[in-house]
Amino acid sequence: MFEARLVQSSILKKILEAIKDLLNEATFECSASGIQLQAMDNSHVSLVSLNLRCDGFDKYRCDRNLSMGINLASMTKIMKCAANDDVMTMKAQDNADTVTFVFESPNQEKVSDYEMKLMNLDQEQLGIPETDYSCTIRIPSAEFARICRDLSQFGESMTISCTKEGVKFSTAGDIGSANIKLAQTYNVDKEEEAIIIDMQEPVSLNFACRYLNSFTKATPLSPQVQLSMSSDVPLVVEYKIGDVGYIRYYLAPKIEEEDS
Amino acid sequence: MGILGLAKLIADVAPSSFKQGEIKQYFGRKIAIDASMSLYQFLIAVRSEGHQLASVDGEPTSHLMGTFYRTIRLVENGIKPVYVFDGKPPDMKSGELEKRAERREDAQKSLEAAEEAGDAAAVDKFNRRLVKVTKKHVDECKELLKLMGIPFIEAPCEAEAQCAAMVKAGLVYATATEDMDSLTFGSPVVVRHLTFSEARKVPVQEYCLQKVLDGLELTQDEFIDLCILLGCDYCDSIRGIGPKRAIELIKQHHNIQTILENIDTKKYIVPEGWMYEKARQLFIEPEIADPKSMELKWSEPDEDGLVKFLCGDRQFSEDRVRNGAKKLNKARSGSTQGRLDSFFKVLPSTNTNNKRKVEEKKPTSNKKGKTNAGGKFRGKPK
Repeated sequence: MFEARLVQSSILKKILEAIKDLLNEATFECSASGIQLQAMDNSHVSLVSLNLRCDGFDKYRCDRNLSMGINLASMTKIMKCAANDDVMTMKAQDNADTVTFVFESPNQEKVSDYEMKLMNLDQEQLGIPETDYSCTIRIPSAEFARICRDLSQFGESMTISCTKEGVKFSTAGDIGSANIKLAQTYNVDKEEEAIIIDMQEPVSLNFACRYLNSFTKATPLSPQVQLSMSSDVPLVVEYKIGDVGYIRYYLAPKIEEEDS
Repeated sequence: MGILGLAKLIADVAPSSFKQGEIKQYFGRKIAIDASMSLYQFLIAVRSEGHQLASVDGEPTSHLMGTFYRTIRLVENGIKPVYVFDGKPPDMKSGELEKRAERREDAQKSLEAAEEAGDAAAVDKFNRRLVKVTKKHVDECKELLKLMGIPFIEAPCEAEAQCAAMVKAGLVYATATEDMDSLTFGSPVVVRHLTFSEARKVPVQEYCLQKVLDGLELTQDEFIDLCILLGCDYCDSIRGIGPKRAIELIKQHHNIQTILENIDTKKYIVPEGWMYEKARQLFIEPEIADPKSMELKWSEPDEDGLVKFLCGDRQFSEDRVRNGAKKLNKARSGSTQGRLDSFFKVLPSTNTNNKRKVEEKKPTSNKKGKTNAGGKFRGKPK
């Protein structure tokens, strides 16, 4: 038996918004420790890794590990039926082929439940090694979304370079070029607006804008975003989800071809 | 011609061993292309109003047209192709080649009959059957590939066997061919329909050998024997044993020797002096060049050389050739999008308890279908 109760059902709505650009379907792996999801987009360039800890839920029970293959468009339809202040409960029997979503209005007047068929998905799982990144950059998530949106007008890809002076986002295209530089700032009163750069070695990598733009769909989940980079490994873009967990996106860099 | 009915057998018995996708999913991959197979395809398929494309002297140019444009299509999709040409056919294949020659003669006769009767459709049909890849076609193709900066390799013997060895050595990701015997030669990944025309909208099929073996519940050696029973290019098969019977027999007896000892030879006539052992040997240890000694180099296309080679007598449009060369150059220059699975290793699937679920959940998964192709991210990553 699996049961997870979340007072803020809006969190799950936001999570779906944050992943449905990249994924059509995904497997939610439920275990006693929480809910995990890992999936690559169709082109195998980016990866979504979602982790929701059991203690982040208001009530959580999972007797046996359960893999729920879910069509995200169907789940979005169901989540649209919930009001933002509804309390949500996900339920499934062991080895069930359906999952039930129960929405209760705050004053308990209205209770609705939706049952959704599960799918059997055969998706490749990737082993992601623990990495010490040369640079980690924390910036306000809205700022990052804005940068990605602005720069993607100029070119298909952008370069993110991190030096001890700060972080620079740059791109070039047919109409010209664009550069945005951010320097460290920290104000105790406005922690959410901090820009914090932790750098061991300078790094400069090139990424496709459209994936970054998809990642920024997670902006409503968190006021801050963390970018982790090392040369020649994928970028990690992490949004914390309140006290519940995190969503991480991995993006393979563009590689300069040697003559081979 | 590959293995008789193997594709259908795999689709019936081990449907999860292959997946369909789009050409775009293979960006960044190096792929070995069975050149003889693709030349046949082009000579047969690349036509205008039923006639082969030809130079002013009436020499066919369909193979060049096909090789040129479809290679560009692959390169534009981020694929790095390497063409592998057949060497001398193995001695074992002579029987099969004789049969093919006979069939060609039959087709020639039917063609004449059809021409006399004025049956245009039949003329077209038999014309296509008469297609033969000659040494001249092959040489022209090699010259074209050289000008395009695409590497090619001459296999000492069968191209499929060479491709398989290159995939095994990790030199390339997959073999692209229509022949199913690449699997028999042990190519871990085989891609079909990659060089088909874009207009046909045929999805690319990717077979994974390990999954085929798991699905059929056979070892590679048993699989080779199964292919020989189904009918391969190198020896006859037993009459009266079809795909269904063949797989039953292999599962029961594990190899051809034991099957021969156990079946009713009156009912199933075993060909005299059946050379199945030699055929098997050919599949296990084919004559190949060592893939380690190979260096694959994708170099700059020679635009003027291409124009000189293709335009003029061969009547290609100069604009289109120059355009093609630019496309090749564009795909070469600049950075390419990396693949995430080249950074992170794919974990072995933890499907032990899933097997049961597959059956349980089948109705739902069938209903919903795997509409993987949809969504925003089906395009080639830029």
